Amino acid sequence: MIELNKITKKFTLHNQGKTNILVFNNLNLKINPGEIVALTGPSGVGKSSILKMIYGNYVFQSGQIKINNHNIDHKYPRNIIELRKNIIGYVSQFLRVIPRVPTIEIVMEPLLEINSDQNEVREKAEKILLKLNIHKNLWNLSPLTFSGGEQQRVNVARGLIRNYPCLLLDEPTASLDSVNKDIVLNLINEKKDKGSSIIGIFHDEYSRKYLKAREIDITKISDAK
Amino acid sequence: MQPILSVHNLNKYYGNQVGCKNMNLTLYPGEVVGVVGESGSGKTTFINSISGNLIPDSGKILIETGNETIDFLEISESLKRLLIRTELAFVHQNPRDGLRLDVSAGGNISERLMSIGQRNYGNIRQTIFKWLDKVEIDKSRVDDFPRTFSGGMLQRLQIAKNLVTSPKIIFMDEPTGGLDVSVQAKILDLLRKLVRELNLSVVIVSHDLAVIRLLADKIIVMKNGEAVESGLCDQVLDDPQHSYTQLLVSSVLQV
Repeated sequence: MIELNKITKKFTLHNQGKTNILVFNNLNLKINPGEIVALTGPSGVGKSSILKMIYGNYVFQSGQIKINNHNIDHKYPRNIIELRKNIIGYVSQFLRVIPRVPTIEIVMEPLLEINSDQNEVREKAEKILLKLNIHKNLWNLSPLTFSGGEQQRVNVARGLIRNYPCLLLDEPTASLDSVNKDIVLNLINEKKDKGSSIIGIFHDEYSRKYLKAREIDITKISDAK
Repeated sequence: MQPILSVHNLNKYYGNQVGCKNMNLTLYPGEVVGVVGESGSGKTTFINSISGNLIPDSGKILIETGNETIDFLEISESLKRLLIRTELAFVHQNPRDGLRLDVSAGGNISERLMSIGQRNYGNIRQTIFKWLDKVEIDKSRVDDFPRTFSGGMLQRLQIAKNLVTSPKIIFMDEPTGGLDVSVQAKILDLLRKLVRELNLSVVIVSHDLAVIRLLADKIIVMKNGEAVESGLCDQVLDDPQHSYTQLLVSSVLQV
């Protein structure tokens, strides 16, 4: 379960004339287990910012964010690290990896956090890569030279190899062809059926309908702007 | 879980000049803390002061060994030396500072082993080969002098030399500084792997935010000898609150 209560978020740009940008005021949102919420609204309205606040990536000035009853509190980074290890999964829009590290290891990494059986983890990684149509020949290469769609699927594989109770998805299907898009959407549905609370940004209506997501227009749930 | 290392209110002055002031740090097992800031901000003074290379003027450094908590600044010199050889390790920016150049590669790696009492040649040789393999240096180079090694190899040798006794806390001062980018990537990859495999706890100093982002869980941003901001690494880099951190982050060139 993900809960946001009365969140205020602003950016203060100290070096640009101390400009203040109020992004959210009194933002409230709740995502239940086994539910998919799709954030909508024009670009720049703060869709990614919501995901980043939940992931502990952005701070907020007031209010409360609770993940399965754990508070996201930046005064205790250790707690956020633990939450990320055990509870929150995040599929970002872009892949950020160390050059030279093979694809298979990138996908295995999150699972190795909780399972030290290399062979078992490797098998699972291979399975999900196959499912996402990443050819075997590519597994031992770094994804940095892959196409946009392939990189995105590696990113999805990495994010979905585990069953996180809470899942944040930032345009996981943006640069995929229709066949691969359906594969990713089916994987997301599987996570929902397993009881994950899922919140995401999906730029196309097709994906939102396919996932039977509850659509939330951010401009309607925050007082800012 | 208890922190393996905690630093409280640490101060180090050079005469009237501030080295670092009011510094705090908490390091948990398996965690990497990055220390960033421009040159002259006190990063190296700080890491030297908490690793036994410099004696701070005041403050507290607590090291958790599993059995007991050690007050690092209060213990005897001999116990401190033992700790530095066993539980702690320091990787210098310039590998030539951390290696003996007129001793073979294998000799460099075995030094710490012998200093904690290992004498069996066969066992030591075995461990040396294991570590050469881990840091991807060909076994055939074991008896060569480090001065015949490239910069990247020297750095990997220094890492092996330091990690061979399985220290719990590793200090690194710009471990990839001065290396070309392909070598840097190799070292970063190696460090990440070792952190996971051996559950290392690391304090790493770098002025390269990209290096810190890839390696660190937490970050401390220093300016004029003080921490201006600290917290979760990606949070501080993605949503910096202090004006100096904002300046630092926005000054990075995009590739």
